[in-house]
Amino acid sequence: MTSQIIIDPPEDGHFRNGLAANGSTPSPTTLSLHLTINGQTHALDIEPRVTLLDALRERLHLTGTKKGCDQGQCGACTVHVDGERVLACLTMAAQVEGRSITTIEGLADEDGTLHAVQAAFLEHDAFQCGYCTPGQIMSAVACIREGHAGSDEEIREYMAGNLCRCGAYPNIVAAVRQAAQELRS
Amino acid sequence: MTVHDMKHAASDSARLEAVGGRLSRVDGPAKITGAAKYAFEQQLEGLTHAVLVGATIAAGKVTAIDARAAETAPGVLAVLTPYTIMELRGASDWLGNPPSQPTYAPLVREVTFSGQHVAAVVAETFEQAVAAAALVKVWYDETPAIVDLSDGKAGDGIPIDAMTKEWGDAEAAFAEAPVRICAAYNTPREFQAAMEPHGLIARWEGDELTIWEPSQWLDGMARTYAEWFSIPFENVRLVSPYIGGGFGSKALALAHSAVAAAAAKMLDRPVKLVLNRPQNFTSYGGRAATRQTVAIGAERDGKIQSIVHRGVNETAVDGMWVEPLGSVTSIMYATPNFSSKQNVVRVNTVVPGAKRAPGENPSAFGIECAIDELAHELGLDPLEIRLINYAERDPHARKAWSTRQLREAFAAGAEAFGWAKRSPAPRSMRDGHQFIGWGVAAGTYPVRRAHGEAVVKILADGSVVVESSSIDMGQGTYTILAQTAAETLGVPVENVTVKLGDSHFARAGVTGGSRLAGVMTGAVHKAAGQALDELIGLALSDPRSPFQKLQANTLVVRDGRIASPRGEGPDLSIGELMSAVGRDHIETKGDTLPASTTPEERYKNYTTVAMSIPHTEGDYSRYSWCAHFVEVRVDEDFGTVRVSRVVSALDSGRLYNPKLAESQWKGGIIMGIGQALLEEGIVDRRHGRIVNGNFADYMLPTNADIPDIQTISVGIPDPHSSALGGKGVGELAIVGIAPAIANAVFHATGKRVRDLPITLEKLI
Repeated sequence: MTSQIIIDPPEDGHFRNGLAANGSTPSPTTLSLHLTINGQTHALDIEPRVTLLDALRERLHLTGTKKGCDQGQCGACTVHVDGERVLACLTMAAQVEGRSITTIEGLADEDGTLHAVQAAFLEHDAFQCGYCTPGQIMSAVACIREGHAGSDEEIREYMAGNLCRCGAYPNIVAAVRQAAQELRS
Repeated sequence: MTVHDMKHAASDSARLEAVGGRLSRVDGPAKITGAAKYAFEQQLEGLTHAVLVGATIAAGKVTAIDARAAETAPGVLAVLTPYTIMELRGASDWLGNPPSQPTYAPLVREVTFSGQHVAAVVAETFEQAVAAAALVKVWYDETPAIVDLSDGKAGDGIPIDAMTKEWGDAEAAFAEAPVRICAAYNTPREFQAAMEPHGLIARWEGDELTIWEPSQWLDGMARTYAEWFSIPFENVRLVSPYIGGGFGSKALALAHSAVAAAAAKMLDRPVKLVLNRPQNFTSYGGRAATRQTVAIGAERDGKIQSIVHRGVNETAVDGMWVEPLGSVTSIMYATPNFSSKQNVVRVNTVVPGAKRAPGENPSAFGIECAIDELAHELGLDPLEIRLINYAERDPHARKAWSTRQLREAFAAGAEAFGWAKRSPAPRSMRDGHQFIGWGVAAGTYPVRRAHGEAVVKILADGSVVVESSSIDMGQGTYTILAQTAAETLGVPVENVTVKLGDSHFARAGVTGGSRLAGVMTGAVHKAAGQALDELIGLALSDPRSPFQKLQANTLVVRDGRIASPRGEGPDLSIGELMSAVGRDHIETKGDTLPASTTPEERYKNYTTVAMSIPHTEGDYSRYSWCAHFVEVRVDEDFGTVRVSRVVSALDSGRLYNPKLAESQWKGGIIMGIGQALLEEGIVDRRHGRIVNGNFADYMLPTNADIPDIQTISVGIPDPHSSALGGKGVGELAIVGIAPAIANAVFHATGKRVRDLPITLEKLI
């Protein structure tokens, strides 16, 4: 990274959105990357400062992964990297070359059969506006896989990193509980 | 345009599909697979990216902007400043009032709040625009800001005479009452905090403007763009297929919208501008901070003799917002004497705006806490005092309620909650080191009404299309309109496609005030009824129709097939009939406006709120009602409050889809829990700046904060409120939650917290 975060106030007292402004702009080099997303390899020529989230949404047009805060506070951008849940807004695209990335678009079977978590979200009306939903679902799949869906209390705790302003939480808990039972049996 | 594959949503049971059935969301499959493209996720050739620069002072003047470094940064196409942005015409407001200024400057020289947009950078990529925006250097001449309501410079504000409600002699009756309570209740600045940020893509083709923007009001926002850019209304197309939450915040075209559209015009390239999360706390208004005093005088038996209410809300230095604080105070309880007055106080903030149940929400916090205080003073059960003072008719409008199932809500909620087992004394219920408190409060929201229109098409294959420029931000519009059309026409719901969120469709007024479902089910019901009449008319009278020789008076359509009511003669699918009579489609536009409505009135009806129908029109006063029962657990040592149980009984009239209505109710309750315990915009008093404008510091409820919530529908169809008998759903349930929690905390601890949010330092 060539940008630098200002820690002390600049001499003239004017903050500029938290990024260093030393008069000269860094000239970022372009990286040629290959990202494996939902089993497909995508070639990308991007600046090193491009996040995984912006690579997905702006370059690869995989807009199922949502940008809610862009600062790691809401969970809407949750994807899986090598099966673990990761915030795509806090991950540089260049960090995940050679890793296996799964997004909401890659969760259902190729024939369109929904993942148990997706089906349970629909059945239990575990969303309203739908904007946090891909992140909730990706988190829920990992939460179950991690073995943290053993009780409603545990589900609430391990799903607490995914904000939902519509307030679908009780229905999300019901959906995760049901999907966990189905996936165990 | 949005098409929903119904195969995952369709149910086996026709009951589920009818109006009132628990059909799963028809837009659900698109949302759970990532296929749903939200407004600013459209992919356009040549798309550029804009990033805003916000003022770092709350009051003063921009004296200079040095954009040279930004302009020469890689990928930068333009830096817009107050000095370089194209001139825009002033636009009329949402009531249709003409603009106060002939021109409009979305990038300002005179700063009236921290974060106000002073410049914008447009670049080829988002990263380039972000980096270059950090290079824009702004100099200011700073003047002292009025930071909030308690600022010494704020003063008493401006009286809003339209808010005054008085009958009897409230002050005298209060002075003479044998039992009196009087207290002040405060709510902080709160934010809508929809998960989808505000933003848009703007594209010009000649003098035609297309805007992809999350919107609660396509036609209202299209009017604003048309006026800003001096182009005909028809030249603006707004597209908003899905909205990632609005809660009142996404009904108006805002300054950042104007910047993006102006940049697109100036560059002749499509521009995408999305507010970053901190900018979502400063670029549009949340709920204004409020102050109220409520004085109640009562007889010793609990009968209220007088209510004296005074309220204040903050507004902007250069914009007006009135949060009607006497709205619930004036109707919840029967009282022979009443007085409510309100002022607004100007502070250096972005102009506050609508957040879920504006007015009713803080109003209920005041009166529903005050009645609880009165109950305690009198030694009465909080539920009993509400029944003693039950308003049998609207005490303000002096009209009969259309329907008021509040008594039923109290009874059903108390029964399900187990209220009878409540130990009356504060601090008398505990579980180990936790105090347990049980609280109750009521809520209400008026039935806001308006005229609407919809297009219904029957296609050659018998499938049905419903079109409207109304929107679905999670309330379930796609689903309930599919149910309405399916039931009215007699076709399976999977044969119905609902298209929303494009201003080229049939017009629609604002989706706000919990009015959309009532307005739009009425319009779709009417349009579908007309389409059905036309279909049956064709079947009976077209010489090519096999029904023509039947000489029947009418036919019925059931499960997509047409037959005579008694089952004799032909039995055709709609598609077979359309084919027989040689029609490729039937199209009807139904609206609920009077036939005499002029084109100008139609335009006004859909692009302003000036033609909304009062909820007290005619013989009735129309409201939704609810009663919340809440259990809290308060840690004896640390003062931490956890809501452990909620039972709410609600009267929203007839529910068009209980599954979705329950979700909205729970969502309102959860937002209310956030309001009660967590949410507060904190202003740095030195700089007048919101310091917690992000999701880590402005705390929303998380999954771990929310217990099981039980909702009970006690509504009955209300024919005076809407065509199909429903009343408002979306805003109702948040009203009354914060006071129910405050009352429960008092019961748990004996401490009365009158300032939201109820945080631990207020309890220890």
